[in-house]
Amino acid sequence: MSSDLKRLLEAALPPNVQWAGLRRVRTSYRGYHAKDGKFESAFSGADEGCMIEVLHDGQFGYAAISSTDPAALRAAAERALSLAKSAAPLAVFRFGREVRPPTVLAFETPRSRRAAYGADVLSRQAVRLTEAMRISDRIVQTAAGFETRDIEVEIVSTSGADIRQRLHIVSCAFQAVARDGSVTQRRTANGMMGRTSQGGYELVDLERGEAEAARIAEQSLELLSAAECPSTRADLVLAPDQMAIQIHESVGHPLELDRILGDERNYAGSSFVTLGDIGSLRYGSELMNITFDPTIGREAASYGADDIGNPARKEHIVKGGILVRALGSLESQARAGRPGVANQRAQDWFRTPIDRMANLNLEPGESRFEDVVGSVEKGVYMETNRSWSIDDHRNKFQFGCEYGRLIEDGRLTRTVRNPNYRGVSSTFWRSLFKVGDASTFGVFGTPNCGKGEPNQAVTTGHASPVCAFHGVEIFGGAS
Amino acid sequence: MSEMRDLEVRFDRACSLLFGELLPGESLAVDFGGEASHFLRFNSGRVRQIGAVLQAGARFTYYRDGRTISSAFEVSGDERLDAERAAEALATARREAPLLPEDPYQVLPSASGRSSEEFSGRLPDPNLLPHEVLGPGEAVTRAGADYVGIHSQGAVCRGAANSLGARHWFTTETFCVDYSAWLPNGKAVKSAYAGREWDPAEYARRLAAARPRLEALSKPEKVIPPGGYRVYIAPDALNEFIPFFSWNGLGERCMREGESAWLALREGRRSTSPRFRLSQDFGLGTEPRFNELGEVAPATLVLVENGRLAATVVSSRSARQYGVASNAAPEEERVRSPAIDGGSLDEKKAIEEIGEGLYLSNLHYLNWSDNDSGRITGMTRFACFWVEGGEIAAPIKDMRFDESIYHLFGDKLVDLSRQRSLLPDTGTYFRRGLGGALLPGLLVEDFAFTL
Repeated sequence: MSSDLKRLLEAALPPNVQWAGLRRVRTSYRGYHAKDGKFESAFSGADEGCMIEVLHDGQFGYAAISSTDPAALRAAAERALSLAKSAAPLAVFRFGREVRPPTVLAFETPRSRRAAYGADVLSRQAVRLTEAMRISDRIVQTAAGFETRDIEVEIVSTSGADIRQRLHIVSCAFQAVARDGSVTQRRTANGMMGRTSQGGYELVDLERGEAEAARIAEQSLELLSAAECPSTRADLVLAPDQMAIQIHESVGHPLELDRILGDERNYAGSSFVTLGDIGSLRYGSELMNITFDPTIGREAASYGADDIGNPARKEHIVKGGILVRALGSLESQARAGRPGVANQRAQDWFRTPIDRMANLNLEPGESRFEDVVGSVEKGVYMETNRSWSIDDHRNKFQFGCEYGRLIEDGRLTRTVRNPNYRGVSSTFWRSLFKVGDASTFGVFGTPNCGKGEPNQAVTTGHASPVCAFHGVEIFGGAS
Repeated sequence: MSEMRDLEVRFDRACSLLFGELLPGESLAVDFGGEASHFLRFNSGRVRQIGAVLQAGARFTYYRDGRTISSAFEVSGDERLDAERAAEALATARREAPLLPEDPYQVLPSASGRSSEEFSGRLPDPNLLPHEVLGPGEAVTRAGADYVGIHSQGAVCRGAANSLGARHWFTTETFCVDYSAWLPNGKAVKSAYAGREWDPAEYARRLAAARPRLEALSKPEKVIPPGGYRVYIAPDALNEFIPFFSWNGLGERCMREGESAWLALREGRRSTSPRFRLSQDFGLGTEPRFNELGEVAPATLVLVENGRLAATVVSSRSARQYGVASNAAPEEERVRSPAIDGGSLDEKKAIEEIGEGLYLSNLHYLNWSDNDSGRITGMTRFACFWVEGGEIAAPIKDMRFDESIYHLFGDKLVDLSRQRSLLPDTGTYFRRGLGGALLPGLLVEDFAFTL
């Protein structure tokens, strides 16, 4: 498959190298944005580079450059080896070649519409969406956009890895901002880039988009005259687009094994979970079933293997509320002596892979949406994240949502604005008392989850049904 | 060839490849960034990851017949490959531009100035980094703590040029050890040693200075109930608020589109304390004054003073759209090189001035919680202490705050420290950051903690 890359690697290697690998990443991207019925911006671009990695006495060294010129690659390999040699006596762990498996694999995002829409189609559709949202003088801003990325990752190694993956990612976004006096409300389509998925141009809806955009704008106006969300302790029902960030922040990040091992303490943070908790911690109620699954075709962070060549498989992370496995790569598994997943991922050719989430999902339960709401005597239903914050051990969180409805005696009643809630991660998940069925399931993604030193932003995917939690601290937006 | 010179050659090559191909009626602006970096990531005082990154990218904006489109390519240093990439990117822009709607607020490049700034550094030998960085880190280990963080170093550059002949170049060689020291009880101190001249003695001195704070952190932690507390927000903690001058912040477009949390200040519905004065000050010398169009910002720009909004940051695009004057802001209208004036409080007496309350060294994961009221939520993080009788009494269990900018910089602001700290941008998303902020500490009363 990657015979040219193999030849380049072989030609670049200094003598007597124990192991080496070469990862080439080629990305082409484009985006078209509109505001207030007018063109706003357009961009396109390409990016290509490679990282060569060398193992010496248990320590990896890497060097990244933006060409595959043989002389430059040779210099990069020598640089990587020299750095690995300098660091080996002080390595935090002595790795073996087994953390770079000799996987041979090809993967491509399934697409039903492969031919790209032109710049004219996408830019004019963005303009049309913003026009569809201008339904009142109180709408002070409308924005819409489409972005696509086509990423090709090739990996070869001296131990026989030969991987080629082609990922196709599409993001669609639109929002309306409404204002009346000192009150401003923004409503989006599942967050500014919540609609990030893998797939083809079938993900760009040219027919129903305008009707949905108009509904978003109507809700932004509705929020202007809505009452503030009450400050109360009550049951909380979360829509799938808010569950996505709840899973991301309070399940995904605390279960990344490199955080538990302390690598991230200086930046993104640590975890309230310890190595000893894996296999026994009651993380949530019995209804909580979390899976790591990069094999789902359409979800944003799908792949055949991670960026060190570990083949992807679906794994239960939390089963019946018990933590059974952490999100740890082969490197973290070797250090921790615990099972993990295929999740050592890099943002691009110029960053080295680290433990990340990929697709991390809450499995559906058995309750219809009406049953979930019907089980709540007094509570609030919330959609679409607009504010997120959590401590560095991933315990104390606070989230704000765009849109809320009161639940009174098992029925959705009045709309409320500025709905927020706060809690502590595992306490919150243990209060999970209803999980919606497959009919309530929503699939979302984010293109920019930040972590790592040096910093990296990667795409993650999260899917969930509607869920209900008991006794949550809920509040509004008053000063 | 030095790394700084190599990056400049790449910049000039990208410009000549693009400008040399331009046809009549076409205009172009080139925004260039690059780095030749070494990274050493460490945990438990030992090497976790080590490597080198050489990258340089040209992003250009193409203008023709009222249409605008941006494109980008990596500048590899390989002349043949770079020529191919530049030609392909320009061809794509030419192909797509006629398909786009007209750009209603197009601003063609008009700047024509030239500048060049180069700051050489004295950095450790990359092959000796583990020894240079982790050797002195043993002082932390001897104090019973884990040494964790990242060292980055090397050349960083930014360039801008346009088809009218503007050319600006900024390059610097810097290092930054961004580190924390962790006690077995989970408490930590955090700091950074950054600059252009690596001084092992100064680095060792800074690590030794962590020891007294580690001793204070080894005391049993105090759990603080939610409520309002008198706090001193040290410069490192205040630095976490700096992005909020840009995100839903002081950009002209953000104000006009209704998304700025500072809108109440602009409209006179809220005010800040007369003690609070915010400027954009390129005298800090940490980042270039030019933007992606080759426009050069004024050396200083006062943004907030005397309780009122003095200016917004305005790009040429916003200037055209809203009929106001540009101050050469970048297109995203972020505040660059922010500086907050000092006050009358002696930093050394900050703990005494708290009396009873909290000393906040560092904060974490801040976010707007309510735009209309300017509320920000976030967490306490490294080395935050309970203060009693004007003395450090105990480290605290992490607390969540939720407080409005109109209180923090307004009616709850008691004083600012006379001394200020220059805090470098340590960010490395996509590439190593430039810039920094000059900040005092803030003494604030009744600061709201919620969880």
